[in-house]
Amino acid sequence: MAHISTSDSAQSPDAALKPLLTVRDLSVEYRTKSGRVRAVDHVSFDINAGEVFGLAGESGCGKSTIAHAITRLLKPPAYTEGGDIRFQGRNVLELKDDALRAFRWEHVAIVFQSAMNALNPILTIGDQIVDVIRAHTGMSTRQARARALELLQVVGIDAKRIDSYPHQLSGGMRQRTVIATALALNPELIVMDEPTTALDVVVQKQIIDELQQLKKQFGFSILFITHDLSLLVEISDRIGIMYAGELVEIATARQLFKNPRHPYTQRLMNSFPSIHGAKQEMLGIPGSPPDLIHPPTGCRFHPRCSKVIAGVCREIHPQLIPLDATHAAACHLVNEGLHDAN
Amino acid sequence: MQTEPILEARDLTKHFVAGGAMSRQTVKAVQNVSIKLFPGKVTAVVGESGSGKSTVVRMLARLIEPTSGQMFFKQHNVLEDKGRRTLLSYRGQVQIIFQDPFSSLNPVHRVGYVLQRPLRIHHIANQKRQIQQRVHDLLQQVSLIPAADYAVKYPHQLSGGQRQRVAIARALAVEPKVILADEPVSMLDVSIRLGILNLMAKLRDEQRIAFLYVTHDIASARYFADELLVMYAGHAVEGGDTESLLQDPLHPYTQLLISAVPDPARGLRTAEIKIKGEIPSLTAVGDGCPFADRCPHVLPKCREAMPPATVLPGKRWVRCYLFDGK
Ligand SMILES: Nc1ncnc2c1ncn2[C@@H]1O[C@H](COP(=O)(O)OP(=O)(O)OP(=O)(O)O)[C@@H](O)[C@H]1O
Ligand SMILES: Nc1ncnc2c1ncn2[C@@H]1O[C@H](COP(=O)(O)OP(=O)(O)OP(=O)(O)O)[C@@H](O)[C@H]1O
Ligand SMILES: [Mg+2]
Ligand SMILES: [Mg+2]
Repeated sequence: MAHISTSDSAQSPDAALKPLLTVRDLSVEYRTKSGRVRAVDHVSFDINAGEVFGLAGESGCGKSTIAHAITRLLKPPAYTEGGDIRFQGRNVLELKDDALRAFRWEHVAIVFQSAMNALNPILTIGDQIVDVIRAHTGMSTRQARARALELLQVVGIDAKRIDSYPHQLSGGMRQRTVIATALALNPELIVMDEPTTALDVVVQKQIIDELQQLKKQFGFSILFITHDLSLLVEISDRIGIMYAGELVEIATARQLFKNPRHPYTQRLMNSFPSIHGAKQEMLGIPGSPPDLIHPPTGCRFHPRCSKVIAGVCREIHPQLIPLDATHAAACHLVNEGLHDAN
Repeated sequence: MQTEPILEARDLTKHFVAGGAMSRQTVKAVQNVSIKLFPGKVTAVVGESGSGKSTVVRMLARLIEPTSGQMFFKQHNVLEDKGRRTLLSYRGQVQIIFQDPFSSLNPVHRVGYVLQRPLRIHHIANQKRQIQQRVHDLLQQVSLIPAADYAVKYPHQLSGGQRQRVAIARALAVEPKVILADEPVSMLDVSIRLGILNLMAKLRDEQRIAFLYVTHDIASARYFADELLVMYAGHAVEGGDTESLLQDPLHPYTQLLISAVPDPARGLRTAEIKIKGEIPSLTAVGDGCPFADRCPHVLPKCREAMPPATVLPGKRWVRCYLFDGK
């Protein structure tokens, strides 16, 4: 078995849910002078209608690259080396011109990781939201401004600040403005790349609760990217864990929280400092992130793994194997007996 | 006997004029905030988004002028001395790590150049070999390995967390006395985050660097900060020893903030928190406590004047009438 086929495994338990987005065997490379950086390597997953799919993993493991590939925003030297992306059955990698433009705003909106400076510095935040709405709908400026005010309220920005320029807002207020803009056209999928890094936990919780409400009301799906697993298990239905460009575990939030199977996921789960209880020594994960031009042989995590099986992990690349209908992991320990030496 | 602060701010206040030509208004971003930074100690600043944390950092870094207030660096009143040479020497000793790694790195320069420049300007190293060695060490310290590969990259070739680490390395390059770190690890995963925090802890202990650490990650402040300062709507509302403050928060805003921290140890969902009321408007007039409209314990006098700081045992203080006169 090559890579997990998500249509019959690692699927949401509710079989009635139809995938809104399917990603199959996606590979993306950055062609650089020092070599090809394989930032995404044969990644497959589905996002169902109305679901929050979380994506987590170490800095530099390829999360933003996936977000850009899905929204067709990759630019050279990044190249999609293979794979297939479908949105409501349509082939995303082949969309052109008008269809692509509509896809990007009306069907899929993205909140960039650089949201803090994604805003145009010479336009007020109100004008920017109004422009997006007007470019894609028949609304009058007046109607669009009323909608902009409504959206700012959703993300907790004082209506009086609608005529502020981006540099007049704090980092978190700029992030919230970008979230408001993404909501403007009621898209079916919102890709959020680290959308809350500049928010305090109270505002973060308010916005997440508000998003959950809106999601119930309008039924959109969210691809939520963050390194913050404690936030991710709280808001996601299902979660994918990436390491060095590969998806190494995929499960429901509950399964991942209760029973993480990949040693990397287990280390991630255990390295959270807590504000309660006795202070423990914080170790994190020893070793350093892998070089994506020359990734380690066999399992890419083996140089940092404490459970290496001699003669196996360094030599054989583990495949993502289903453990049950919603849980899959790529680890020889978990898959004992299942791997073949391909 | 290191009891003298290396950097001290008294009653820092900053008002901005914002809005368009038709709707000009004054934003009271920071009001009477006092901070002391000591060699070998970390003071963390936590609080609401938009409460003035970055503005405090920018004033301390002398990137913007306070509307009023005083600043002392090694007992020297720095706001009175506006000479270029003094400013350069100040910047060599007080470094800033900006909140946004996407805009704080110049896109036309390679990482190696970004790190070499401060070394030359502040005469930390002069010979080519020496400079290269130092750049290499800095990259290694922030886990950008192999260092030689990262030195030749441009910022756009790096992920968000990798850029953040370059910004940290740049601040470390000049061996400063004070580091003002504005959300330095917000885009880093736990593992690299711990590595960076451990590195900062080492610099604090070995080189006695004083840190101001602005963060939304309150759990990391628990591990890294000696003292904590809580900001809400431009005001410092509570401060003191980190552990004591986290285990026994006094100000109603601090209590709300701490109750909202996600904690995987407690289960999948954080406790339901009842947040009522709006995020405060910094343009609205009124001299009362900015938290009054959302506070479950509000008293009539809370809306009239900002409460004074009540000093409590264990290096704690709080600005709230519930504790006034106790
Ligand atoms: N233009 C580029 N040229 C070369 N390499 C690149 C380029 N852009 C990104 N990379 C590399 O590709 C890898 C994946 O980057 P990506 O931005 O997807 O990571 P990420 O998982 O989003 O990380 P973070 O959590 O730090 O944002 C990184 O190792 C990065 O250095
Ligand atoms: N140049 C400016 N002109 C007008 N208002 C400004 C300016 N800079 C900051 N402000 C305002 O001052 C207030 C405090 O901003 P600041 O960036 O200090 O907040 P912060 O606490 O760092 O928030 P965050 O956690 O979201 O980064 C905000 O209301 C912001 O809009
Ligand atoms: Mg990223
Ligand atoms: Mg800030």
